[in-house]
Amino acid sequence: YRDLHTFELQAPTRLIEWARGSRVCVAGYGQSDGNEILQLIPPPTLLTKETQGLCPERDFKVECGGFSERPVYSLKYVPDTSLLVTSGPPDSSLQVWQVSAEDSDIIKSVSPIETENGTGQSWAKIATISARAPWVLHGSRLDRVQITEVESRKNVYTAASGGSEELSSLAFLDCNTLLLCCTAGRLCLADIRQPQSLMEAVSVPSVPCSEQWCMGTRHGAQGLEPSSQPVARLSSRGLLTLTDLRKTSEFLALAKARVPSPGSGAEFLCISWSPALEGCLAISGFDGTVHVYDTQSWDSSGREAEPIFVHKGHAFGGAGGSRDPPLVTVHTWHLQKPRTLLSAASDGSLHVWDWVQPCGK
Amino acid sequence: MPEIKVTPLGAGQDVGRSCILVSIAGKNVMLDCGMHMGYNDDRRFPDFSYITQNGRLTDFLDCVIISHFHLDHCGALPYFSEMVGYDGPIYMTHPTKAICPILLEDYRKITVDKKGETNFFTSQMIKDCMKKVVAVHLHQTVQVDEELEIKAYYAGHVLGAAMFQIKVGCESVVYTGDYNMTPDRHLGAAWIDKCRPDLLISESTYATTIRDSKRCRERDFLKKVHETVERGGKVLIPVFALGRAQELCILLETFWERMNLKAPIYFSTGLTEKANHYYKLFITWTNQKIRKTFVQRNMFEFKHIKAFDRAFADNPGPMVVFATPGMLHAGQSLQIFRKWAGNEKNMVIMPGYCVQGTVGHKILSGQRKLEMEGRQILEVKMQVEYMSFSAHADAKGIMQLIRQAEPRNVLLVHGEAKKMEFLKQKIEQEFHVSCYMPANGETTTILTNPCIPVDISLGLLKRETAIGPSPDAKKPKLMHGTLLMKDNSFRLVSPEQALKELGLAEHQLRFTCRVHIQDPRKEHETGLRVYNHLKGILKDYSVQHLPDGSITVESILIQATAHSEDQGTKVLLVSWTYQDEELGSYLTSLLKKGLPQST
Repeated sequence: YRDLHTFELQAPTRLIEWARGSRVCVAGYGQSDGNEILQLIPPPTLLTKETQGLCPERDFKVECGGFSERPVYSLKYVPDTSLLVTSGPPDSSLQVWQVSAEDSDIIKSVSPIETENGTGQSWAKIATISARAPWVLHGSRLDRVQITEVESRKNVYTAASGGSEELSSLAFLDCNTLLLCCTAGRLCLADIRQPQSLMEAVSVPSVPCSEQWCMGTRHGAQGLEPSSQPVARLSSRGLLTLTDLRKTSEFLALAKARVPSPGSGAEFLCISWSPALEGCLAISGFDGTVHVYDTQSWDSSGREAEPIFVHKGHAFGGAGGSRDPPLVTVHTWHLQKPRTLLSAASDGSLHVWDWVQPCGK
Repeated sequence: MPEIKVTPLGAGQDVGRSCILVSIAGKNVMLDCGMHMGYNDDRRFPDFSYITQNGRLTDFLDCVIISHFHLDHCGALPYFSEMVGYDGPIYMTHPTKAICPILLEDYRKITVDKKGETNFFTSQMIKDCMKKVVAVHLHQTVQVDEELEIKAYYAGHVLGAAMFQIKVGCESVVYTGDYNMTPDRHLGAAWIDKCRPDLLISESTYATTIRDSKRCRERDFLKKVHETVERGGKVLIPVFALGRAQELCILLETFWERMNLKAPIYFSTGLTEKANHYYKLFITWTNQKIRKTFVQRNMFEFKHIKAFDRAFADNPGPMVVFATPGMLHAGQSLQIFRKWAGNEKNMVIMPGYCVQGTVGHKILSGQRKLEMEGRQILEVKMQVEYMSFSAHADAKGIMQLIRQAEPRNVLLVHGEAKKMEFLKQKIEQEFHVSCYMPANGETTTILTNPCIPVDISLGLLKRETAIGPSPDAKKPKLMHGTLLMKDNSFRLVSPEQALKELGLAEHQLRFTCRVHIQDPRKEHETGLRVYNHLKGILKDYSVQHLPDGSITVESILIQATAHSEDQGTKVLLVSWTYQDEELGSYLTSLLKKGLPQST
C-alpha cells in the first residue's frame, strides 16, 4: 500500500457515488425505516494529487443527509440539476431527492417517480444522463425499461420488450445508446431513436449454470467513441469477459478470477474500469477483498488471471468473534488519483486505499 | 408550566469558549467559563452582562461548574471570579482542580509576557480563584444547598473530564462538557446511567465528522517518526505534560518494543515526575487496562523512555524527545526547537492546537523564517507535521449517550447551525424528543413536567384498598380523596379527615325527583308494584321493601304517594344523595317508562 485510510460509517452502504465538487455519497440499505443518505466531503488528503501523510484534516465530513423509508440499493445524481434519484425494494418506483448544501444540510424528498408494478418485480436499476434534458433510465426487468425526464416526469422512451429477464445493471453509452445487462448474462443494446427495433444481444460463454452477472462500462476519455470501449462482465463464479460492442460475435478476452467457491451469492457483485489506468479494472463482492486486474495481458483462453493487487483490509477490520466476516458491498475508483479506490463492506467500514505500483511496470 | 432556561454565553453555534447559563427551578448555574482562543481582545471572554445587568453575580448564581481543564472551558475563570467578581462555590473534579492552575498560569505567561497584554488576570488572581474551588468525586452527590444537588460522571476526553448532572427536586439537567464514547490507550469511555434528565446539553463539535480510524492515524504517526529516525534525524514532540503525551508515550513504547528499535526516546525531566505523580494520584481516572497493569508494572514507567537532560539535545544521531510546553512558546521545547530547526533531516510533530502568537502556531501556518529574541532570524528547515489526537464524540457517540441517559429534551452546543439540522432531525426521529440549538445569547426555554410527590394518609389508603377488587399492580386504580396543600407539602386525605382538620362541617346534598304514574289503586299497592318491578329488573342491586311501604334500592329511597288532585295518579318520590347521582338518575328514567301492566 502507499496509503490506507479506514473509516467507519454508522450503517453499511452498498453504493458509493461521486458527485459534483468531489463529494461522495453513501446510503444505508437496512430493512427497517430510517436509512440515511449521506453526502460526504472527503478529507483534503484525498482531494489533492499528492499524498500527504500526517494532516490535521483526515476525516470525512457529512455535508448533508436525508432519511429514506426504504432501503437504498442504488443512487445516481442527475447531472445539471441539484437532484438525485434512488431506488430500492419493495418495488421498482424511484425516489427523487433535492440537495441544496448551501442552504441547509438536509436532503429533501421530492415526489417519487411511480412505475407500474407487476408481480415479481424487484427494485429498479438506474442510470442518469443530461443530454437533451436531465433523464433517468430505469427498469427492473428487460421488458420494463424506460427513460423518464426527471423534472417533468414525462416518459421519453420505452424499450421494446426483449424478454422478461431481470436486469443487473444498465447504462447510457452516449445520449442515444443504451446498454442493458441481465442477471443471466445477456447484454442488450438499444438505440432510443428506434424504440420499436429489436435489441442486439451478446450472449455469455459456456453453459449457463445459474450464475449471475453484472457489467462495467467505461466512461471513456474525451474524443473516443463510447462503443469502442470494451464492456466487462463478471459472473458470480468469477468468470470475466471483455466484449467489444462493435464485434459482438466473439469475446475480446476471457479470464477467470481466483475467488472463493460460490457461496456468497451475487448480491454485491461489482466490476468497474479505472478512469485513469488503461486496461485496469477492479472486482469485488465475493468476500472481504477487492481485486485489481490489468486486462492488457488477457486473451480468450479463459485461464486464471493474476490480480496486480488485492485489498484485504475489510477482512481484518471486523470486531472478530463468531460474526461472519464482512463482505465488500461496493467499490469505486477515485476520479483523479489513478491508483486510489474506495470500498465499503457489510460491517459499515469504508476504506480509501492506494497501492504501490509493482516494480518493472 | 415549569421551565428550564438555557442561555449559551459561548459555544452556542460556534466552537470557541464554552459558557452556558442554566436556570432550573429558581436556581442559576453557570456551566464552564471558557476563553476563546482565537481572539486577542475582550471577545475572548464570554459576555457576562447577560447574566445580570446590575446586582452581584454571587447573589444571582448558585454555583459554577467546570467540566475539564481545557482552556476553552476554564480559561476565563480567574477573570470571571476575580475581575468581574464572584465569590460563590466553583465545582470541578479533583484532577481538574490540580491541573487547571498550571494551564492557566502557562497561558497567562504567554499572553502577558510574550504578547504584552495588560487587561488580563494575574498569578495571584489564579490562586485566589482556585481557593473558591470545591473538588468533587465521580458519582458523588454534592448538595450545593438544600435544594440543589450536582453529580459528576466520567467523560473520557482528558484526565479529570466530567459530565455533570444538576438536580433540583425532580427536575434535572445533564451537561456533557467535552466527552468521548470510545476508549483510548489511557482513558476510558464516557458513561452515564439512565438518569432520564429533563434536558441533556451535549457538545456536537464532531457530529458531522466521520473520523479516520485511530489505527490509521497512529500508523501514520509511527511511520513518520520511524522514517525520520531511520535516516538519522531527530524528532521533537512538544507536549503539555498531561493528556495526549501519555497516549503517545504508550504508543511509541509499544512500537519500539515490537520493532526492536534502539534510538533513544526522552521525556522532559521534572515533568516525568509530575506527570507520573498526577497519574498515580488519579489512577482511578484512567482506563481499565492501565489500572489492571499498574499493579504489575507502572504503565507510566517506560523501558525505552528516559529522562531528558539539556545536554542530550546536542548528541549526534537519531532520537525522539517529548518536551514541554506544547505550543513551542517558551522553555525547553523552544530551546530544542531552535537547535534542531536548521536541519532538514529533523522533524517536529505538533500534537495539538496552538494559540496565535506562539511559535507553534506560526510554523503550522507555514512560516519558515521566524524572528526570535534579539532580532535573530531562525530558518526552519526541519519538517513540520501536525497530528491531532483529540477525542470528541461523533454522531454515533452522541446517539449512544442519548440512548444511555434517556433525556426528555436535547440541546446541542458547539456546532454550526446549518450543519446541525441533519443531526437535530436524526435525534428527533430516533428518540422522539425535542432538539434545540440556540445561538450565543439566545435563551431556550424548555417546559418540564415535574412529578409532584403527594403523601397519602394511611387511613385513606386502607379504606380505598378495602373497596372493590384487590388492586392489580399494573393497572391504575381510581381513588377519591381531598388534596390539602399547606406550605410546600401536599397530602391526600379522606374527606372526613380534611373536614376535621379544617374545622368545616360536612354538607349533604339530597335530590328528590317526582315521577308521575297512572295507577288508580292505593298507594300501598302501587308501592308493591314498584317493588316487584324493580326487583325483577335490578338483579344486581339490593332492593328492599320496608315496613312503612317505601322501597330502597341500595341507598336510594322511593316512596309512593297519592297525587293531591288526581286520584288516578300516583307520585313516586325518588330521593338520593349526591354520591348516588348515577343510580338515582337511572332509576328515575326507568320509572318514567312506567310500570308493566301485569303486576
